[in-house]
Amino acid sequence: MLTPTTKQPLKNYRILDLSRIWAGPYCTKLMADLGAEVIKMESLSVYDSHRGPVSPARGIAAYPDGEPGEEPWNRNGWFNCLHMSKYGITLELTSDEGRRVFERLVSISDVLIENFRQGSLERLGYDYAALRKHRPDLIYVSMPAFGNTGPWKGYLGYGIGQEQLSGMAHLTGYPEDGPMKSGINHGDPITGSHAAGVLLAALRRRRRTGKGMYIDVSQQESSVALMGGELLAYQMTGEEPERNGNRSRWYAPCNTYPGKDEDRWITIAATNNDQWASLASAMGKPELAEDSRFATAELRLAHQDELDPIIADWASGQDVLLLAERLQQAGVPAGPVLRGPDLLADRHYSERGTFITVDHPQVGPRQYPGLPWKMSSTPGEVRSPAPTLGQHNHEIYGSLLGLCAEEIDALEAEGVIGAKPTGSRII
Amino acid sequence: MPLELRNAQPRLQSKAGDAKIPPMNGLLEGVRALDLTHYFAGPYCSRLLAGLGAEVVKVERPPLGDPLRGYGPFASRPVQASPAESDVPMEDGAWHLYLNASKRSIGLDIKTDEGRETLLQLAAQADVLVENFAPGTLGRLGLGYEELRQVNPALVVTSISNFGQTGPYRDWKAAEVNLYAMGGLMNITGEPDREPLKEGVPLAQLGAGQNAFVATMAALMYAEETDEGQQVDISIAEYATNILENALMQYSYSGQEYTRVGNRGYGRAAWGIYPCRDGFVGIIAGPDHRWPEVARIMERDELADPRFASRRGRQDNADEVDALMLPWLIEHDKVDIFKAGQDSGLGFSFVATMEDILEMEQLLARDYFVELEHPAAGGLRYPGSPISCEPGANAWVFGRAPLYAEHTGPVLSDWLGFDAARLSELAASGAFGGSQC
Repeated sequence: MLTPTTKQPLKNYRILDLSRIWAGPYCTKLMADLGAEVIKMESLSVYDSHRGPVSPARGIAAYPDGEPGEEPWNRNGWFNCLHMSKYGITLELTSDEGRRVFERLVSISDVLIENFRQGSLERLGYDYAALRKHRPDLIYVSMPAFGNTGPWKGYLGYGIGQEQLSGMAHLTGYPEDGPMKSGINHGDPITGSHAAGVLLAALRRRRRTGKGMYIDVSQQESSVALMGGELLAYQMTGEEPERNGNRSRWYAPCNTYPGKDEDRWITIAATNNDQWASLASAMGKPELAEDSRFATAELRLAHQDELDPIIADWASGQDVLLLAERLQQAGVPAGPVLRGPDLLADRHYSERGTFITVDHPQVGPRQYPGLPWKMSSTPGEVRSPAPTLGQHNHEIYGSLLGLCAEEIDALEAEGVIGAKPTGSRII
Repeated sequence: MPLELRNAQPRLQSKAGDAKIPPMNGLLEGVRALDLTHYFAGPYCSRLLAGLGAEVVKVERPPLGDPLRGYGPFASRPVQASPAESDVPMEDGAWHLYLNASKRSIGLDIKTDEGRETLLQLAAQADVLVENFAPGTLGRLGLGYEELRQVNPALVVTSISNFGQTGPYRDWKAAEVNLYAMGGLMNITGEPDREPLKEGVPLAQLGAGQNAFVATMAALMYAEETDEGQQVDISIAEYATNILENALMQYSYSGQEYTRVGNRGYGRAAWGIYPCRDGFVGIIAGPDHRWPEVARIMERDELADPRFASRRGRQDNADEVDALMLPWLIEHDKVDIFKAGQDSGLGFSFVATMEDILEMEQLLARDYFVELEHPAAGGLRYPGSPISCEPGANAWVFGRAPLYAEHTGPVLSDWLGFDAARLSELAASGAFGGSQC
C-alpha cells in the first residue's frame, strides 16, 4: 500500500470491516477516502458477493474486456471500485483459531462494521456486549436491511428493494404508467453515506468522553429519511404525490429533449421568469416570453403540454453538447445526458480529477470514480487498488498482530485464512 | 512496497474511562454551525448537523428567506405546489419544514456592510459554516474562504455547488434534472425505448448533502485536533458520478455501456418491479438455489423448469418467466407477496406509497416517526433519525423548523453578546432587511 503523501483526517482510526456488497462498503470507502485504515475481512467460503461468482459465465459482471480470467473474484470492477485504499484479509469465524484471531483484531480496532443479515454476528457469539469485552470503547455499526429490532428485522433487503420500500420508486416514472426503478441500487450509497456521517460523530464523541457506542442502521429508515418532505406533503394534502416523469412540480419548462443524434438527449429547465426569457431568446423565439400562456411559473406549469413540444422541435436538430454550452452561456440551466464514455472524457471532470486511473495487479490501469469531495487542507488520495482476496493476510496477521510465520502457516494449512475461495453464495 | 501499518496497540484509548458522562443532547452538542444554505443540498447537510445536536443557525436573506420556503404544498394551502407568490416568508411548506427542522433562523442581509460585518463576527464564533451559493458569490461579497479563514483559521467551510468550485462548468446553472443528466444517473434510468428519466425526489442534491456532512465531520475532527480549518468543496454532479458503481465500471473495464432496462434488472430477469393486485411489488429472484422457492410461492410448477434454473437461463427467457409470474402476482396484495418472499428467504419488496410508509408496521415498531408541533403547520409526523444509536444515548434531537428570523435577537445576543441597543442599531442600518425588530 502506498504511504499517504497528504494529510488525512482519519489516519489514526482503524476500522474492521465485515460489510459486503455496497451499502457497508460505501461507508468504509468514504472512511478510507478520509484516511482511515480499513481492514476488509472476508470468509473464503462466503466472500463478498460483489466479487462475483467463482466460475462466472463470460460477461456476467464487469471483467476487464469481458474476460473473467483465472481469478475472477479479483477482477470484477463492481468490487474493485468500492475497495480502493482498503486492506483485505480472510478469516473463518467458524473455527476456534479464527475466533481467537478475530477477537485480537477487535481489540485493536476502533470500529467494527457489518451489514450481514440481522443477527448473524450475534449467532456467532458476538453481540455488542461480547465485542466490548475485547475493546471496551468499540464503536459497533450494525446495518441490516430493516434494523436490529421490529417484526421485519430478519428480512432481507437489497438497495433495489429500499428504493421501493422508501417510496422513492413510487414517485419515479410517468403519470400514466407505474413506478420505475432507478438505474442504480440507490438505497445502498444513501445508507452508506448516512452511516459514515453518524459514525464520525460517534468517533468524535468517543474522543471527548471515552465512550464507545452501538449504532443500529436500518437501511430502510436511512432511505425514508430522504423522503421527509413528501411524507409531510402527503399529510397536508391527503393525496399521494403524482409521478411527473422529468418535469418539476415547482417550475416549467423542465424536461429531457431529443438531440439530433440517436439516443442523445438534453435536459433544460427554467426555474424562474428570467431564465425562461433567456431560453426563449436563445431559441430565437423571444415572442414566447411574451406569450400569455407562459408568462409565469404557474402558467408555464399549466401549459407544459404545449410548451414541451416547441422546445423539443427546436432541440431535435442540434448537437446536445454544443447546445448545452450555448444555453449555459445564455444563463439557462441545461445539461446533456452524459453516458459512460462522455463522463470519462469530459473536460470538466478531467480538470477536477473526478475519475482517476488506478493500476490493479490483475486488471491493469483502469479508470475509477475518485474521492467525492475536494478538501483544501486534507486533500486525501487513493492509496492502493482494491485488495485481492486475502492479499494482506501476512501483513495484517504478521506485522500488525504479531503472529509468527509458523502460526500463520498453521492458519493457512487449516483453511482459517487463505487466498483461494472455497465456495461462494452469489445472488 | 512496505505497508504503512501502525503498531498493534489500541489507539486513542479512552482517557475518561468510566467517569460519569452527563447525558447528551445530541452527539454533536456544543458544535456551532452557520448555515448559509438554501433549497435542498445544503439544507440536508446542515439538517444532519442539527439533528445530531449541533446548534445550527440558518442565515436567511430578507425579506423572504430561503426560497425553498416558497415550495409547496403548504399546510395552510394544500392544493398549491408551485412557488407561492407571497410578500411575506412562507412558514409551512412541506420540504422547508423537513429540511430545516431543528435549526434556528436569523434574518441577515449579508450584502449590507453591517450585515457582512455581523456575519464575520458570527463566523469567528462558529466551528462550521455550510453554504451552497453559486461559486464565487460569497467571495464577491467579501465573505470568501480567505476572509472567513482570517477571522477564524479553525473554521470548516463546506461549499456545496452544482459542479464544484473549480473547472469549466463551475458557473453553470443547474436544476435537479440537469444534475441527474450530467452526473450519469439519468442515462441508465427509464425505459429503453423512451427518454432517460430522473427520479421523483431530488436524490442527487440530498445525497450530495449527505456526503457533504461526512466530509464536514472529518474536517471538523481534523480542525479540533490541529486548529487548522479548511474549505470542503462538494459538487452535486460529481457526487452522482461517485455512485454509478456497476454502470460506470462495466464501461471502464469492458467498454460495454449500460443502457436503460426499464423495470428489469441489468442482465437479470425476475429482478425488478411488477404489478400486483393493489399496487406494485419488487421481485428479486435471489441466488439460484432459492429460485425453486419462487415457483412454489407462485404456485406455478412451470417456473421450476430447468431452463429457468440459472440466472442466465432466466435472462434468456425473461418474457416467459414474467408471463408465468404475472397471473399469481395480480391476484395477490403487495404486502402479502413481500412477506411470502421474505418468509422463504427471498429479498422481495414492494413499492410503498406515502400512506404505506406512514403506517408501516416495522417503522411503527421502531418508533421511527416523531410528531412535532409547528406554529404555522400544526402537528405532523416527521421521519426520525436516519441512524439509531444505542437506546438512551440521546444521539438525535427533534426540533421543528424555525419561523423566518425567529432567533435573530437571541442568537446575536448568545453568540456575540449584542444588547438591545446594538440590535436596534443593526436594524436601523438595514442589516435585517426592511422592517425587522
